[in-house]
Amino acid sequence: MNTPAIIKEPRWIKPALIGAALIFLAVFIFIPLVTIFSQALGSGFRAYSRAFSEPDIFASIRLTLLTALICVPVNTVFGVILAWVITKFNFRGKRILITLIEVPFAISPVIAGLLFIFLFGSFGWFGSWLMAHNIKIVFAAPGIVIATAFVTFPFVARELIPLMEELGKDDEEAALTLGANGLQTFFKITLPNIKWGLLYGVVLTNARAMGEFGAVAVVSGVIRGLTTTMPLYIEILYNEYQFNTAFAVASLLTLLALVTLIVKTVVEHFIAEQRKQKLV
Amino acid sequence: MGVKKRRTKLPGFGLTLGLSITYMSLLIFIPLSALILYAAHLSFTDFWELIINERVLAAFKISFLSTFWAAAFNFIFGLIIAWILSRYSFFGKKIIDALIDLPFAIPTAVAGIALSYIFSPNGILGSFLQKFGIEIAYSKGGILIALIFIGLPFVVRTAQPVIAELDKELEEAAASLGANFYQIFFKVIFPSIFPALLTGFALAFARGLGEYGSIIFISSNMPYESEIVPLLIVKKLLQFDYRGASAIGVTMLVCAFILLFFINILQGYAKRRRKN
Amino acid sequence: MSIEITQVGKKFGDFTALENINLTIPDGEITALLGPSGSGKTTLLRIIAGLETPDTGTISLFGEDSTWKQTKDRKVGFVFQHYALFKHMSVFENVAFGLRIRPRRLRPDKAEIRRKVFSLLSLVQLESMANRLPGELSGGQKQRVALARALAIEPKVLLLDEPFGALDAKVRQELRRWLRFLHDEIHITSVFVTHDQEEALEVSDNIVILNKGKIEQIGAPEDVYDHPANPFVYGFLGNVNLFHARLDKGVLNLNHAEGGAEVSFFVRPQDVVISLSNENGKGVEAKITGHRILGSRVRVNLKTIAGEKEIEADIDKKQWALIEKENRETIYILFFGAKIYSKDETWSDYAI
Repeated sequence: MNTPAIIKEPRWIKPALIGAALIFLAVFIFIPLVTIFSQALGSGFRAYSRAFSEPDIFASIRLTLLTALICVPVNTVFGVILAWVITKFNFRGKRILITLIEVPFAISPVIAGLLFIFLFGSFGWFGSWLMAHNIKIVFAAPGIVIATAFVTFPFVARELIPLMEELGKDDEEAALTLGANGLQTFFKITLPNIKWGLLYGVVLTNARAMGEFGAVAVVSGVIRGLTTTMPLYIEILYNEYQFNTAFAVASLLTLLALVTLIVKTVVEHFIAEQRKQKLV
Repeated sequence: MGVKKRRTKLPGFGLTLGLSITYMSLLIFIPLSALILYAAHLSFTDFWELIINERVLAAFKISFLSTFWAAAFNFIFGLIIAWILSRYSFFGKKIIDALIDLPFAIPTAVAGIALSYIFSPNGILGSFLQKFGIEIAYSKGGILIALIFIGLPFVVRTAQPVIAELDKELEEAAASLGANFYQIFFKVIFPSIFPALLTGFALAFARGLGEYGSIIFISSNMPYESEIVPLLIVKKLLQFDYRGASAIGVTMLVCAFILLFFINILQGYAKRRRKN
Repeated sequence: MSIEITQVGKKFGDFTALENINLTIPDGEITALLGPSGSGKTTLLRIIAGLETPDTGTISLFGEDSTWKQTKDRKVGFVFQHYALFKHMSVFENVAFGLRIRPRRLRPDKAEIRRKVFSLLSLVQLESMANRLPGELSGGQKQRVALARALAIEPKVLLLDEPFGALDAKVRQELRRWLRFLHDEIHITSVFVTHDQEEALEVSDNIVILNKGKIEQIGAPEDVYDHPANPFVYGFLGNVNLFHARLDKGVLNLNHAEGGAEVSFFVRPQDVVISLSNENGKGVEAKITGHRILGSRVRVNLKTIAGEKEIEADIDKKQWALIEKENRETIYILFFGAKIYSKDETWSDYAI
């Protein structure tokens, strides 16, 4: 995109703006990224790998993976269902449904955790029933999973709704006239059309599920090796001045974030291609 | 026949709507009601006293002010970054474009320890700033740093497509009428991207108001001084002050809903303007 | 009869898309649903396909009440305006789709599917494109693939929604003729939606003219063109001059002031004849106010002396040359096949 010749932008503007942006991004993006990895490897690669063999850290990685393993598939399935119902049908209350999707995104993670304390805590709605049946949700792994499911709920639907709205209903209707049933239509027609957007939604859900801190901190009760996820363990390590180990754990989550960004860039490329093809 | 039946053309309406509503009720609606109904047990005067407590008010003031300033900071730098990404080509642009979303993808705890480490007196930026007598980490300034980081993608990502889609003919028309670059920018370009910038500001503000993870590492977390509202809720919970926590929680919830409503209106407005 | 539509009505919110539609679509012919946008023609087509359900009334397909039957069980071939080809599938896979998704016991074997797809592709003259993706085809080719895909399931009826709407003029012409030719080969009952009267006249055996959710007229192309049932149909099927006048004992009176019943007067520009003399005394005196040469035809703007009515005539270029040479102050105009629509809603022929 070239600026037309008739608009003479003063010559200093481009370098000045790029300079200002680069300084800003250096402070907030580049230096933090470099710091995470350099601190993680600060005491050598051997120390780095040793950090992960520590049982408590290993347990926190396991809990984090378990949480993601439950939340990501469940929220993916429901996210797709929700996007389908919102983009393929018209019904009363649709706007309310769309707004409700945003709720987990709009409220503080701390409030998200708080909700489940008031629902499952000892004085909450189900508190006494849960205690009578000796079921622990809050301050235990199930609470972490539920709070994470709440926080990561919007991502898949948010990615899919605009994409599916843009694609319209023609392809699905064509499949129906050719004799396809609902599931065939979804798996053979809709899914191939939305796969890239879905992939990014899933990757984002996963990144957030593994990285959630506020909501999980409130419901976990932080019992070492039992209810600490990786982000919670980072806090413990940092507060104990074990900086290198804290950054070692952090570096894993940072790698995950970088992979997420790469997937995003690739997906955007493919969706742009798809859009171009549609115009041809 | 004359039977009125609401049938829809594509299959699966009843099933998918039923599943969606059930899941969202269980995951979102019932938990929200649990908090609101718990707070509803409080009498109005109790609720009021829990909120106008000096420490709570101080926390709200700190949260709102620092979030506002961070969002304002992002308004300006977000505009600059969105501008250079959509108008100029330069080395490394693709990578920068991808990294803008880092604050969105990286866990807040990781961001928190990294920023706190960098800005601590021993850190690379902290030691540099200390020479000028500026302390960032473990102070109010730290809150601002964390919030700027968290809010960065919002302004950039709402402004970027609007700048890219700006009608070149408008600028050319203005130039043909004799406007210079500054006049074109402030009279033609800025007004057309302002709604998007404002939406980005509001999104960054909404996100910042609830932020917890990244701030608690870099702030000194002192009551009356650098204690944000989400942290205060956590502290109340640790002291088993559930009444206080629920009152503050509901107030925060109301703030979030007002912001959500405001953002919806703004987005609708910006969308309509883009369509025209 | 193949498709019977009885008292069908459909509303979208406050908007009435269709109102009390009764229609029988004959077997083995091409029927055009013609109307302006918002007339309900596409809604009617989608109701036949089961993509939309009527609020009232019934649809019966081949003697079987199908009002609540699902689209996938109706055996209708549907061709979409924007083709709706599956972008991730090759041309071959698109055409094979309807066969491959059948339950195992009804599904032809691989060789049979292949044979069938290729015979369809040869019918639409696209065998060489079998492995292309839809993105690599031109608009006309895409539409032919869409047609082959719809035919693959051996539908009892073929439904086409503005099939040529998204194509440019020349391709549209070709494809129209080709569709007519194709139909003469396979004789499948077909219904197509269009807003282009020329297209309807050229392609179809029957025309159903819709306006504001109601049927205005049903008939063969010549029929509706020559004997339009009402002013809307007349106006919709070609250019028309319309003005108000009075009818006094069978004689047209252009001056409003005098006696006789008030009527609306319709005449097509090509039915307006310009004459230099007034031999039979029935001509209307007029002045030529302008003209425009359109290839072999000339559009002449006229104004009557009495009543100052503006009238457009469409005449032959040679005739125009004669008139222009004479350069008369006033000429006479005669009407062939004009229509008069009177206040009591009767509709009669008129000629001078």
